[in-house]
Amino acid sequence: MNAKANKNHVTSIEPAYYQAITEAIRKEAAKILKDETVVGVVGYLPGRRKGTASPALVTTVEEAEKLIFSPACVNNLSVYLTKAKKGVLKQGKVGIVAKGCDMRALAGLMTESQLQREDLFIIGVVCPGVYGFGVERTGTLTDANIARKCRECTVHMPEGADVAAGTHTELADLTPEEAQELARIEAMPQAERWAFWKEHFSRCIRCMACRQVCPFCYCEQCLCDKNRPQAVENSPRPAGNMAWHLVRAMHLAGRCGGCAECERVCPMDIPLNLLNRRMAQELKELYDFEAGLTPVDKGPLNEYKENDDQSFIK
Amino acid sequence: MHGEHIKHDFEPKIVAFVCTWCTYAGADLAGTSRMQYPPNVRVLKFPCTGRIDPVFILRAFQKGADGVLVSGCHPGDCHYMAGNFHARRRFAAFRALLDFVGVDLNRLQFSWVSAAEGGKWVDVVTELTERVRAMGPMPEFKELEHEEQWSTFAEATVDKSGAINTPELKEAYDSIG
Amino acid sequence: MSRIGVFVCHCGENISRTVDVEQVAKAAGEIPGVAFSCDYKYMCSDPGQTLLKKAVAEHKLDGVLVAACSPRMHEKTFRKAAEAAGLNPYLCEMANIREHCSWVHEDRDMATAKAKDIVKLMVERVRKGKSLAPITVPVTKRALVIGGGIAGIQAALDIADAGHKVVLVEREPSIGGHMAQLSETFPTLDCSQCIMTPKMVDVANHPNITLFTYSEIEKVDGYIGNFQVTVKHKARSVDESKCTGCGICMTKCPKKKIPNEFDQGHGMRPAIYVPFPQAVPNTPVIDRENCTMFQSGKCGVCAKVCGPGAVDYEQQDTFTVEDVGAIVVATGFKLYTIDRKPEGSPIQGYGEFGYGTIPDIIDGMTFERLASASGPTGGKILRPSDGKEPKQVVFIQCVGSRAREKGISYCSKVCCMYTAKHTMLYHHKVHDGQAYVFFMDARTPGKGYDEFWRRAVEEEEAVYIRGMVSRMYQRGDKIVVMGSDIQVGVQVEIEADLVVLATAVQPQDGADLLAQKLGISYDKYNFYSEAHAKLKPVECATAGIYLAGACQGPKDIPDTVSQASAAAAKVMTLFAKDKLERDPVVAKVNEKYCVGCFACKKVCAYGAIEEKEIRDRQGNLVKKVAYVNPGVCGGCGTCQATCPSKSIELDGYTDEQIMAMIEAL
Repeated sequence: MNAKANKNHVTSIEPAYYQAITEAIRKEAAKILKDETVVGVVGYLPGRRKGTASPALVTTVEEAEKLIFSPACVNNLSVYLTKAKKGVLKQGKVGIVAKGCDMRALAGLMTESQLQREDLFIIGVVCPGVYGFGVERTGTLTDANIARKCRECTVHMPEGADVAAGTHTELADLTPEEAQELARIEAMPQAERWAFWKEHFSRCIRCMACRQVCPFCYCEQCLCDKNRPQAVENSPRPAGNMAWHLVRAMHLAGRCGGCAECERVCPMDIPLNLLNRRMAQELKELYDFEAGLTPVDKGPLNEYKENDDQSFIK
Repeated sequence: MHGEHIKHDFEPKIVAFVCTWCTYAGADLAGTSRMQYPPNVRVLKFPCTGRIDPVFILRAFQKGADGVLVSGCHPGDCHYMAGNFHARRRFAAFRALLDFVGVDLNRLQFSWVSAAEGGKWVDVVTELTERVRAMGPMPEFKELEHEEQWSTFAEATVDKSGAINTPELKEAYDSIG
Repeated sequence: MSRIGVFVCHCGENISRTVDVEQVAKAAGEIPGVAFSCDYKYMCSDPGQTLLKKAVAEHKLDGVLVAACSPRMHEKTFRKAAEAAGLNPYLCEMANIREHCSWVHEDRDMATAKAKDIVKLMVERVRKGKSLAPITVPVTKRALVIGGGIAGIQAALDIADAGHKVVLVEREPSIGGHMAQLSETFPTLDCSQCIMTPKMVDVANHPNITLFTYSEIEKVDGYIGNFQVTVKHKARSVDESKCTGCGICMTKCPKKKIPNEFDQGHGMRPAIYVPFPQAVPNTPVIDRENCTMFQSGKCGVCAKVCGPGAVDYEQQDTFTVEDVGAIVVATGFKLYTIDRKPEGSPIQGYGEFGYGTIPDIIDGMTFERLASASGPTGGKILRPSDGKEPKQVVFIQCVGSRAREKGISYCSKVCCMYTAKHTMLYHHKVHDGQAYVFFMDARTPGKGYDEFWRRAVEEEEAVYIRGMVSRMYQRGDKIVVMGSDIQVGVQVEIEADLVVLATAVQPQDGADLLAQKLGISYDKYNFYSEAHAKLKPVECATAGIYLAGACQGPKDIPDTVSQASAAAAKVMTLFAKDKLERDPVVAKVNEKYCVGCFACKKVCAYGAIEEKEIRDRQGNLVKKVAYVNPGVCGGCGTCQATCPSKSIELDGYTDEQIMAMIEAL
């Protein structure tokens, strides 16, 4: 989008914008809890420390009045509807606060039969961006403290949500840092690329936070935890680490919604979203697939066309 | 080449994952036609290329393969109708991933070899073997097998005398006392 | 597996010439878990097999590896031998050290080393192997045939004659299909109805055939041997059990000017009608859209005149569920509607030819009706506009067919022959008339076909012009046909009295919808796809469903009948046993770990994967998981490679086996 042509492009997003969203979320959450449309709302409550937020499931109108939205609301809440938290949905319809990137995850989970649209009430957030890692949390979002993934966000508008909170506003002239980094790595000679990733992966301590936080890693038994046969060595050694990250990227290819939570939670600062981005880019180029805001019939690696590219096959 | 074997310094280990209906049969045909090709390849038979998991390729490299071949039926010839179509997408994506992390794709060959293409099987195997021979052993995954956690990090941060040379680490160590 | 036996074959000298078999056997014996190893001159010979059986007994072997030729050659032999020795046949594997080793390498050392490696890999495969039992599926010995044209009739009669029950479902009020519309048939020029109607009557009278006309397939459940097909019986408004077929209702029906579909709209029929006099069954049907009773509620003449009281205006659509074991799809074709671009279709249409606006431009099927003794003109060639006998007739071949730019690139196969036939029929009926044919190529492969075509050209005086027609327009009562003769290289202009277009053969409307109900695949034109173009031309990829006739691709009558009989033979083969035995190399789901993402279901080309609900004792839904129907699974394993958690596994090619082999590299 042309920044100059759009007057909603600003240099900073002030707390008032987030406050307006907060009010809208509170109002909507209280309403749907009161009229029993939903049994609970997954959203954000203020964190114990100033300038933080933490995910929460609220079930009463009183609690709903405490929900917030701020640049600290970094978490992708869709993960609270799968895996260990699956039980939440069994209680009845659930409301969920979702940014654009979270909506892509919800859509993906619907594609994969993990969620049903009719079980959800989606309170979409017109999100201008959230904080990056280790930045100054002033309450105002600027070029200096916005998350890397948000710099190239294409889903500010949560289309398809039941309600949307906020008006379209985004920061102007953001540098696409991630795309630049991706291009830099791709331009490297092959050996250098290997060295780059080898260094990153060898630091991995296999805490599995990336898996834990990923809405798509909902398998009840991860391939990488299996030991008969053991496809991926599960001690934190370089060989197994490399295998784990390749398998992870491969399993997410064509599914990842790009929320970059894996990268955010990585204690070793491994740029995991670059792998996801690279795969997404490849699937876009080859099969014109992009993770979207609505569920699809089949993901790009679950379908085929007879005339798919096969220039790499002899 | 027939009848006479040239001794090489390096004999690469080539692993071939093939489908049983086309490529395995094509390799059989190469045999019944008494064609000759380098003996470096070890064939693993699958019902269909659709069954071949990228993890197998990864594991083969980890277990010392210098080159990997994946081969199946031509598009439209799949005995199971669409297995090779699914495999084609899966491996297109996997190739891109390997390339991105810095694996030389010259070591990974994909091909369609039908049951009638004994000659093509010989060509594909010979070409891959010779190409990988020229490239030398594949060090990347093998090295990883022998490395321990932090080893590359340690290399970067520990100087030749073994002393820690980053201020942060030094501070961390000092604070432990 | 801990007591594996390895048997290394010399294959005469075929293996031992380049591979040191003794060394291979010795090395195999040193692999942990190998309890016995030996080498022998001919393992496949009787003494060789006896050796294997004795060793199994003596050494209490629980797995066998024969290092010899390709498993494609002798796997069955050795699995049988192993079974005779009391082992599960799937615990016997072959290491291919002949085709993949001794025959393709000259260097003895390297070939021996490779043979050892192959044996090492395969020992791991045997070690991780599992006993498998063949899968048996019960078979309902009752077939469904969809479509009552010549293909469906032939298939139904063949299956019924073999003693099996058949349900024949036809969408129209009568069976007969397109063949019943034809006047005479190539290359013998015998009357179509004369050879068709006896078969139709046979169907009606066959004790093993249940005929449902004016009925359609609503829903198909189940799988090979066990289909449940819901058939919709459209309301005929005439009770078939009461109607005697006297026909008085048709003669008394006041609404008689409805264009008759059977005569391509060139004859008239009443609102209560049978499509043609020889219809089977000879029970009329009320065309509700054109019936005064249904449209305004005032008439009821047919009910009044019907002696047995068979007319029933209140009749509703009914549904029955038919249990069948096999399905033959024989839905046939339709002719290309050339005058307009069909909505939503890539096909362009031939508006420039004036079809549909100039009445004397007709298609081949209309010409068949004009030439038919039972047709609207009683077999006289009279043109539609003024009923005059045309003295110059232009036939145009390849209208729609072989025109990539117009959306259809295939050849319709029958047009060359039927156009030649038309010129002859025309010449026989209008002695002083002249037939011209515009054609691209004359394609006449088939017994007696080229002779037939030559007869049209050489004896029956048809003028064949190689080239296409660019434009046609009405001038007075003539149609000016402008085309080119590319052989002579001149423009041709013919003043025709009648133009007949050989339009492309297309699948029936709704062919795609039926395919979706059946779970079979179809190409971009909606022709149904056979499982293999050469070796499985009548089978569908979906087990238990077979194809016959033009629904699979354009076909003439002999080819259609052949394919119908072939499909019937396939059905009979299936019905020959009470239970269907299948190779146990099929996928299984680990329900404990399956999370129900159904990626497997999405990639399964066989439609073998269903969603299964797991419930607790109170009946609450715990989760949905995938379920593989072993009767349908083809065993490709694409599901397993797709499953992120490997909760679906292909027996015979488990991850454990494959990983163990890779570890042994």
